[in-house]
Amino acid sequence: MQEALNDTQDLKKQKKEKQRAKNRRGIRLFLLIVPFLILVLLFSYYPLFGWVYAFFDYQPPIPLRDSQFVGLKWFAMMVQNKTQLHQIGQVLANTFAMSFLNILTSFLPVLFAIGLNEIRNKHFKNVIQTLTTLPNFISWVLVYSIAFAMFSSSGMVNTLLQNVHWIAEPIKWLDSDAHTWLKMLLWNLWKGLGWGSIMYLAAISGIDPELYEAGRVDGANRLQLIRHITIPALMPTYFVMLMLAISNFLSNGMDQYFVFQNAFNLKHIQVLDLYVYNVGMGNNSLSLATALSMLKSLVSVVLLYVVNLVSKKTRGASII
Amino acid sequence: MKKSKIALLATAAAAIALILGGCGKSSETSNKTAAEKDDGKLMKVTVYDDLANYQGNAKGWFAKMVKDKFNIEMNIVAPNVAGGGSTLFDTRSAAGNLGDIIITGSGNGRAKKLVKAGLISDMTPYLKGMKYIKQYSGATDALQKVAGQTSGVWGVPSSVSASSPTSASEGTEPTFGPYIRWDYYKKIGYPEINNMDDMVSVLKDMQAEARKENPGKKIYALSLFKDWDGNMMNNAKQPTCFYGYDELGFVLAKANGDDYQDITQTNGQYVKALRFFNKAEQAGLVDPESSTQNYDTMYAKYQEGNVLFSFWPWLGQAAFNTTENKEAGKGFMIAPLKNMKIFSYGNTTNGTQTFIAIGSKAKNKQRLVKFINWLYSPEGVAAAGAQTGGTSGPEGLTWKMKDGEPVLTDFGKKVFLEGGANVPAKWGSGKYTDGVSQLNYPAVAPNDINPETKYSYSYTLWPSVLKATKTALDTDWSDHMGGATTTMDYLKKNKKILVAPGASYVTPEESSEISSLRGQIKTQIVNESWKMVFAKNDSEFDSMLTSMQKTVKGLDYASVLKVDMKNAKDQNKERVAIKKEYANK
Repeated sequence: MQEALNDTQDLKKQKKEKQRAKNRRGIRLFLLIVPFLILVLLFSYYPLFGWVYAFFDYQPPIPLRDSQFVGLKWFAMMVQNKTQLHQIGQVLANTFAMSFLNILTSFLPVLFAIGLNEIRNKHFKNVIQTLTTLPNFISWVLVYSIAFAMFSSSGMVNTLLQNVHWIAEPIKWLDSDAHTWLKMLLWNLWKGLGWGSIMYLAAISGIDPELYEAGRVDGANRLQLIRHITIPALMPTYFVMLMLAISNFLSNGMDQYFVFQNAFNLKHIQVLDLYVYNVGMGNNSLSLATALSMLKSLVSVVLLYVVNLVSKKTRGASII
Repeated sequence: MKKSKIALLATAAAAIALILGGCGKSSETSNKTAAEKDDGKLMKVTVYDDLANYQGNAKGWFAKMVKDKFNIEMNIVAPNVAGGGSTLFDTRSAAGNLGDIIITGSGNGRAKKLVKAGLISDMTPYLKGMKYIKQYSGATDALQKVAGQTSGVWGVPSSVSASSPTSASEGTEPTFGPYIRWDYYKKIGYPEINNMDDMVSVLKDMQAEARKENPGKKIYALSLFKDWDGNMMNNAKQPTCFYGYDELGFVLAKANGDDYQDITQTNGQYVKALRFFNKAEQAGLVDPESSTQNYDTMYAKYQEGNVLFSFWPWLGQAAFNTTENKEAGKGFMIAPLKNMKIFSYGNTTNGTQTFIAIGSKAKNKQRLVKFINWLYSPEGVAAAGAQTGGTSGPEGLTWKMKDGEPVLTDFGKKVFLEGGANVPAKWGSGKYTDGVSQLNYPAVAPNDINPETKYSYSYTLWPSVLKATKTALDTDWSDHMGGATTTMDYLKKNKKILVAPGASYVTPEESSEISSLRGQIKTQIVNESWKMVFAKNDSEFDSMLTSMQKTVKGLDYASVLKVDMKNAKDQNKERVAIKKEYANK
């Protein structure tokens, strides 16, 4: 009896000990993620405090506490007339269009990686890969100076064409509004293609060689190997990348568009981030720019719900 | 186990410290008064300067002069160099310290904001014995009023003048004017230029002549740039100045108060100027690089003689009229445009909007006030005159008194008339022109009389210099301009100048709603203006104009224009008032 009692007490003790150890472990694990939680709080939630500027009439150098509270004035201003709405509509159209074009062409790095993988000459392959990856490390400012040197009205291309008498007047590549979206897409591709394919090259090298051997034994040629082995094996990676790209739909960067913008192409190059910058920094309306940038969050939330809905309908499971 | 725990905690702590480190704030607005003592040590002074076109530590003979006199080294912060706009002002002022010395405009409520935010300090406690600053009490009082204060000297306005507000503040050349390459104009036989339409055909002939003479050179009659675009395309405003207008917001106001034009109105001066550019473009006279180049690139083209028309004497003449070129009969001179009536700024008794002030966080304020006082002294004005203003430089270096009259020294002649020279070792080193005051701050109008010499600060008006600068170009020009001695002489004799009385009008603060509207509208106007200049034909130009008018109307242009119109009319009231005030003196 006594023994049994002792046993249960021992058991309880053991349990308690176990529980404590578990707790301790939990705390330790929690401590591990604390820095990241703080990072998230500081960089994702703390900046939201800046939204408060959208409700004030903030004019530096007068500090916020002395600024006038204006309520929803700036939001009303955004939608107060047709032209204003039209402008915002155009900006959103630009943002969506260019992001969409980027997503539409996101299969190109896959093809490039496959093609690169098929090159047998190792040296040639390395040269190509280096040359195509390098542009990724050039900042947009430098890309623009390259573009300017080549395509400005007195740039290399125009001078060359003029000297061989193909054209009489220089062609305006940079300062015209023709095919702005397409041009931006091409620059983006030139800069990002090599870099984007690295992930896929890694995935390709991870494919089990036995699959290829089996394929060859079955009499598959090179194209069939690509079609039935390489591409299916790359699909999971591709979809992860695609999802990431979609989640960045609205943040398609502004430095590219910032350096390429000018009076002639502004209408079609102004994406949301650039518009916010131009209004806030260029026109000195920081409060209005804040209100505008909140628009981005709003659109993001709407997009998220749409994607979630689609996912529910098609896969039967929601993402969030 | 324990070790890892410690390591973990340390990492976490380090991460937090790193993160929080970025959020540091230095907010402490203390208003120290005169009590502090000057340590007499070498002082690095940060100068926030809206006028400067140079950023970094000031170098050269002027910097050496300041260092020798005040033991001050100036570090210039220049928004112009940093990409323009008000970004630099906003960020620096939001951080609570704009600079030790601040040169900026008082308009649009900026002076008020600076005082309210405690960024500039009152100079009153330091003014004992500062006779040059005190001399301009009218100007400092005017600034006090603009800043919305009832007492205190919050800064000293620039370009103060003792001359009549109804006479031109410019010296021998006006600020604006249709300057053309006289040598090519001569070669095509001095055709008559009745209006800007004629100008296009004259320029066309000149360009053809110039290209014939210099095959292989890319010569264009017109070359434009976008650096200074504001409420409108800056370059397109310049031809309106040939007809007596100047901008105020979206309004072009005539110097004599007769006319106020909305810049978007279909047959207004601004649209006419755009049309002039577009006609020139259609005739193949506009440099295709215009929309992408900056001022420096364009300036180089002027220097090489690849551009034939200049809106300003201080562009075309400064770049190309070297003594060598002028001796050869080449150079920019004002064209005899029949119907012009050039806008001229009258002398500003109480200074302009731009003023110089002391930052509230500055150390050794007494010394800084002494420095500012010196900038307003005859010696300071002569030495520091604005980069393009043409003051005479320091006595003993570039000029000396001879028989009671200032004359250029040999070194001065080399510097001002013969394309530059290196400063003698005693005065520092480097080229004279590189060493001028990079503050680019005209404390006193350069044409004012230097009380010590009884002649103007600007050497260009000295009799000795006027006599010495007669070259082949001047003679030929003079022969065809009815014997006029200088441009000003020609304009005055032929009544082709319209002086706007030099009132110290400061635009009042506008509501932030109006400024955001203005921001959006001006982007539209500037961009559409550029497109219109490069329109392929007249009908494209017209349709662009209509669409611009429609867009700005949709952006509530009317309410911004109302503000500008009122300001323009208020400005004229002040012009009338200062004219009366001076007449009654």
